[in-house]
Order: sequence, then C-alpha cells, then structure tokens
Amino acid sequence: MISISFGLHGKREGETIAPIKCREDDHMAEDKKPRALATQAAAKIAKFVKGNLSATLKAKEEGKKVAYAYIADGQDEIMRAMDIVPAWGESFAGVCAAKRDAEKYLQKAEADNFSRSLCTYATCTIGFDMMREELKGEPVPGAPWGGMARPDMILGSGQLLCDPRFKWPQATQHYLQDVPVFVGSMYYPPFDPNVDHKEQEKFYVKYATEELRELVKFCEKHTGKKMDRDRLAALVDLSDKTWDLFIDTYELRKAVPTPMDTGDAMNTMVPFTFNLGTQEAYDFYKDLYDELKQKIAEKKGVADDEKYRVLWAAGLPSWFALGDFQYFNEKGVVFPVEVTYRGGEKIERLGLPKTNDPLEHIAWRWVRYWTHWYDKARKRPGSIPKVERIIEYIEDYECDGAVFHSAFSCRSWHAGIIHQAETLKRVYKDIPVLIMEGDIVDISSYNEADTHNRIDAFIETLEAAKKRHN
Amino acid sequence: MTELRDGNALPSAEKYYEEYGLRAKELKAAGKKVIGYLTALGPVEIMTAAGVVPIRLKGNVSEPITKGDAYMETIVCPFVRNVFDAAVKGKYAFLDGMVLPHQCDSIDRTNDVWSSSLKLPYWHFLNVPHVTDDPSIEFMREILRVFISTLEKFTGKKITDEAIAQAVKSHNENRLLMRELYSLRKSDPPLISGVEMMKVLVAAMSLPVKESSALIRSIAKEVKQRKTPSVEKRARIMLVGDQIDDAAIVDAIEGAGASLVMDGLSIGSKMYWGDVDVTSDPVQGIAERYLRKLKIPTTFVGAGNTYQENLEARFGLMKQHIGEFKVNGVILFIYKYCDPYGFEVPAIKSFIESTGVPVLYLEDEYSTSTLARVKTRIEAFLEMIA
Repeated sequence: MISISFGLHGKREGETIAPIKCREDDHMAEDKKPRALATQAAAKIAKFVKGNLSATLKAKEEGKKVAYAYIADGQDEIMRAMDIVPAWGESFAGVCAAKRDAEKYLQKAEADNFSRSLCTYATCTIGFDMMREELKGEPVPGAPWGGMARPDMILGSGQLLCDPRFKWPQATQHYLQDVPVFVGSMYYPPFDPNVDHKEQEKFYVKYATEELRELVKFCEKHTGKKMDRDRLAALVDLSDKTWDLFIDTYELRKAVPTPMDTGDAMNTMVPFTFNLGTQEAYDFYKDLYDELKQKIAEKKGVADDEKYRVLWAAGLPSWFALGDFQYFNEKGVVFPVEVTYRGGEKIERLGLPKTNDPLEHIAWRWVRYWTHWYDKARKRPGSIPKVERIIEYIEDYECDGAVFHSAFSCRSWHAGIIHQAETLKRVYKDIPVLIMEGDIVDISSYNEADTHNRIDAFIETLEAAKKRHN
Repeated sequence: MTELRDGNALPSAEKYYEEYGLRAKELKAAGKKVIGYLTALGPVEIMTAAGVVPIRLKGNVSEPITKGDAYMETIVCPFVRNVFDAAVKGKYAFLDGMVLPHQCDSIDRTNDVWSSSLKLPYWHFLNVPHVTDDPSIEFMREILRVFISTLEKFTGKKITDEAIAQAVKSHNENRLLMRELYSLRKSDPPLISGVEMMKVLVAAMSLPVKESSALIRSIAKEVKQRKTPSVEKRARIMLVGDQIDDAAIVDAIEGAGASLVMDGLSIGSKMYWGDVDVTSDPVQGIAERYLRKLKIPTTFVGAGNTYQENLEARFGLMKQHIGEFKVNGVILFIYKYCDPYGFEVPAIKSFIESTGVPVLYLEDEYSTSTLARVKTRIEAFLEMIA
C-alpha cells in the first residue's frame, strides 16, 4: 500500500501557495490549464452550481424562504415541496476551494477560535457568514457568484454520518442568532456480524419518520404554509426515478474503455446531491445517459489508451486539485467508479416495504441504502459493509486497484480508511492500493509535485501487479 | 479491594489511579466478566445490573502512540487514538468485551477498527442519537433494550427491571457522594486539591459502583477532618473539556500557583450532576438521563425559544458552578480534531466571559509531549488574572 502524506500535515517550511485567479464559470482550479471534462454533461455543471447559489439570492424577491442545508440528510423533497430554497454550505465551500479562494474565510473563522483541524466545509462557510454579518447582510465582495443569501432557517441533522451536520448549524447560529435551527435525526442500524439488523430496521424507520414529521412541522411554522402531501409524494416518486436513472447511467461506465471517470463524476454528482427532487436533476441524468451510450457506441474512452481501471474507494476529493484526475488519465489510468457521492441505489435492489406515507418511504430508502450491504458482509468472514461495496465495484467495473483520499479536516468520511484498505486486502485479494492524504478545502496540505510522484509510484505497482497476474 | 481504614482512602485512590484497571483485573481473576467502555455515554447502570464489571477506558498521556497509528488515522481524536493504542498494546487484555457508545465521528467511524483489532468475545456499538426530543427518547429506549438483550446473551443471565432499578439507585448514590466531595472544594482554599480530586475521579471510574461509593465516602470523611490551611490567596480555576484523565495538566495549573476548584470534564462534573429518575420502566429514566441531563457537546440542545435560552440550557450548569465554587478563571482545554467541542469554542468562550470570568482556550493533544508549551500559556493566563 502506498500512502501519500503531506503535513498539516504537509505544508513545508517556507512554502506558500498563492491563491490563483480562476474563470468565473469553472468549477476547478486554474493554476495551469483547466481539467478537461470527458463529457458534455459535466460541462453543464457550473450552471447548476451557479444556479443553486443564485437561487438563494433571488429567493427574497420571489417571496421564498432560504434554508442552510447539508447534503445526505434526507430532507431534499421536504424542502422542495415547501418551496424552500436550499443554500448548500458544502457546495459553497467546494467552489471556494476549487477557485483556491477559501483561505480568507478559513482565516476569518480561525480568528474567532475555530480550529484548522475542524471540518473546513464548515469553517469556510462560517467565515463567510461572519463577513456577511459584518456587512449587515450585504453580499460579501469577491464571494463566488455573490455567495449565499442570509438564511431564514438552518436545517441540520444528527446522524451516524457526520458530527458537523449538527455542530455546524449550532456554530452558525452563534453569528445568526435570530435564525431558527432545526436538527433532526436519521440513523441506521450499525453493522454487527452477530446481530440481525432486520429486527432493528423497523424502529429505526419509525424514528427517522417521526423526525421527518418534526422537520415538516418546523418548516410549516417558519414558512407559514401547510405541506402539500400530494406534491411531496410526487417529488419523492421523482427522486426514486432519479435514483434509478442515476445508477443506470453510472453503470454504463462498466464499458471498456470507460466513457466517464471519477474526475467527471465529482462534477456530475451535483444534480443528484444538491438538486434531488427536481425535474432538472432527472433531465440531467437522461442527457448524461444518452451521451454515455453514444460514447460507448463510438468506443470513446476517457483515456486515449486505457491501461488500468481504478476505483475511487473512499474520501472526498481535494476540490482545489481535481486536475489530478487528469494526471491519472494522461498516464492511462481511469476511474470507472467511485464510492464517493454515489448516494443512491436502484430502488428495486433495496426491497423497500410498500407505504403510502412519503416520509416513511424516505426513511426506508435511507435505512436500506445503508443496510443493503450487510447480508453480503456477513457472509464473508472478517468483512464489513464498506468493503463489500468496494469489492462489488471492483468486480463489476473490472478494477485493477483502489485509491482512497484521507482529508485531515473530515473524520466523517476519512477515519477508518486504513482499516478498509487492510480489510480489502485480507478478505478479498492483494490489489494495489493508494491512500492519499490532503484536505477538501484547505490548500495548505497540498503539494502537486509530491502528489504526482506518489501517483507515479502507484502506477508502477499497478504495472507490477498486472505483470504478476499475467 | 483494598480494605479502607482511617487515613488510607486517598492513598487507595492514588493506587487505583496509578495502576489503572487493577481492581478490574482482580475481579476478573475471581471469575467476573469485565466490560470496557468509552465516554460518559456508557450506560453503567445496565452493565452493573448485568453483573459485569464496567470500566471506563483511558489512555496514558505519557505514552507515545507506537502501534495504534498502523490501524487508525492521525486525524482521529487524540484521546481515542491513545486509548486504542493502549488496547492494542495489551493494556486492557483483561477485558471480556467492550461497549462503544456513539458519541462522535471519531468513535463511530473507528468502531470496525476497534472490534476487528481487539477481537473480544463481546462487542457492542450503542447507537446513541444526538437529538433529545421525545422520539429520540423512545429510540434511545429501543437501543438500550437491544444492548440489554446482547448482554443477556453474553452473560447467559436475564437482566431484570428490578436489577436495573437497583443499579440506578446505586449509581445515583454514587453521584450524590461525589457531589458532596466536590462541595469540599468550595472553601478557600479548597479542602481537597485539584490533583487529588483528579486521582479520585479516575479511580472511581475504574471500580464497581459500590466500591467506588465506599472509596468516595471514606475520602470525604478524611478530607473533612482537614483543617483549612492559611495560605496566600490563589486564583480559583475551573478546567473544562472532554476526557482529561491525568493529573499532569492539573499539576501544571496548581504548580503555577492556582487552585483547581471545579471542572466541566466528562469524567467529572458532567458525569456526576444529573441523576437517573426513578421511572416505572427503569430504562426510560436511563434514556432521559443520558440524552437530556448529561450536558455534553454531542447532544444537540435546541428546544429554547431563543439562542440565549439554548446557551443557558447547554452551559447553564457551568455558569452555576462558576458562581458556587467562586471560580475566577476558566481553562478550556480542547483536543485537536474534535468537531463536537471545537465547534462550540466561540459560544462557550463568550458565554463564560459574559459572566465576567476570563477564559484561556487551549487546543492540544492527549499527551504530555506538549506540556511545556501548555504550562507557559497557563502561567501567562494566571499572571493576567492575578
């Protein structure tokens, strides 16, 4: 296993990386040539990102409420059904990072004693909030596409996924004290090889459903509107269809050569992650599906000469260094599949019980999304669900190796990665693994030359493994 | 357990502090099952009712991490990493099992790492929610019932509601006794030093509840017999943080000429204020206590009508203690890579400062390797408030 480590890991003494001016419509860094996108669809993503931010700024004049929202909280359809405009902190911080312009916000938060070791999505956004408050709610000069509007409410979630999802809203309220905060709960049964999780699923679903009802009540109170149950049901149905289409589309990437890799997927995840429950998100994947079909028919791959297929096995990317995917591609390495941001599954594979209650359906979909790997993991001694998922992808997408990214400021995604890599080798087979270390937003942890050297070393292990195999 | 006689209670506590886990090892040798747990969220009442010996795990701040980093990322909470390192080095080889309550990401994201590395006969991840509304209490009851059923299977013994009610009574008594011992710190100077108190708190969390209560009772008796020494006035400090479980940092405070008179630690006042109510279903009272009465940053408190009301609900007990114990300086000691505590530093700092008491915020490691630096900061703070 190769481990890349930069200090915060990583900034060397005396070394500075200057902020780099970027094109306004590009979702990535522009220190040299921008990362080439393999699909036309991915090129449309900047409009989605910009549209989501702009929607928060326009909401006031349209008489809509804005909510600070956090991805993978199961709250999408509720917000959309009540015409609440979500302002996504993760997206805002990701854009700042991609533009290599997050430092001023990180420093602002740090000046009020938020440690650099905390989630940098959160500290970047809180720094922005602090600046906007100092400007009495006026736009912060230089914020990407005008930044986010001051919210009317903050919708967090306590769950098994990420502490900042409830600590970030609480910390934000310290600066926006008049803005009401709701924190609900979305849990799933933990994996225990000796305990049948199915016995527990019901009370987990009951709990998640009740918490979603609490969220509806909160939204009704703060919008002054009643939830339209039929509209909610229709949006939940639309989300199910989007889940299915999203997976159908991504499964086209099994083709050799793969028509799209993770570098693009870090863009094409935007509609699924931030626009679920909208027709635009569904239509986006329809276009992407058609485009990938066409590429497959024409045998157009991501790399000119596809030598190795690698899984992005875990971790959020360094948004300021998405160009590294292209570095892989130029060396003939492609990522036909990734765990990150693949936050859905074909609905039929989840075996969801029938219910007329759309909130209960969201709860079942959430719980089963996590637990549907458990039976497989139980059958392979020593395995865990996360590793079963990795094994399934390696086999389905014919991968030769796996790459993990460990971001220093995020325990949620990135703690436990060493164990996943070790377990993969122990219970499956000894395939080449690369663990990169860096951050999602904080560029001080990044050194491009070192990263590329380590990628080169990893490619050598891929070559050696292939030779052994042959 | 060492027989408690006049004058040997504090030395007994010191022994259990220095040789952490000594009593659990003795009980294991005598045929008892020993279950380790992490954090203040470990439901000791249920473990006591099951007839097992619960021991809250700690690391060793003087011991560098030498094995744990091969399994666990350095971005994980330094406390969790240190305890894990101790466990993989065999310090807790006497355990029959472990309970990992879901306190934070550093625990739930490493649950697999712990269980597969230690391979103990019993393992349980207790999925404690972060939210405290009524559905959360009901959910907490459900997960406590699952915990009970797994313990029953492991011990082969039914855990009756009567046994749980009895354990609740014993642990409530234990908390009351510890609060009484705390009250002996109100005098100026306090009758028991901060270093002594730290050793008592650590010893107490390693003992079965009745033995812990007997020890605290004896210590209180000894301490009450002390005469208040006439010494020059010293700053009265409160230490706030999560699991600080070593006397080194306290020694640094008291060695610099201050008295540590109170804490807001998860092995200290956070644990001992807030009893389990006696309820017809004893699990209900336990669920309510761990979610609503235990004021730790991983439970979201937001039911108030205003932000200020929520601050009072979150930190009000701390404010009360600042007044009762005549605290004139607070040291907020937060571990690096801790999102739950780290995200509330500005709120807690400004809340305490609004009472007129200055705050020193330190972000540091679970290690004495940085103690010299910490001492310098503490000395400067004490000079400032003198």
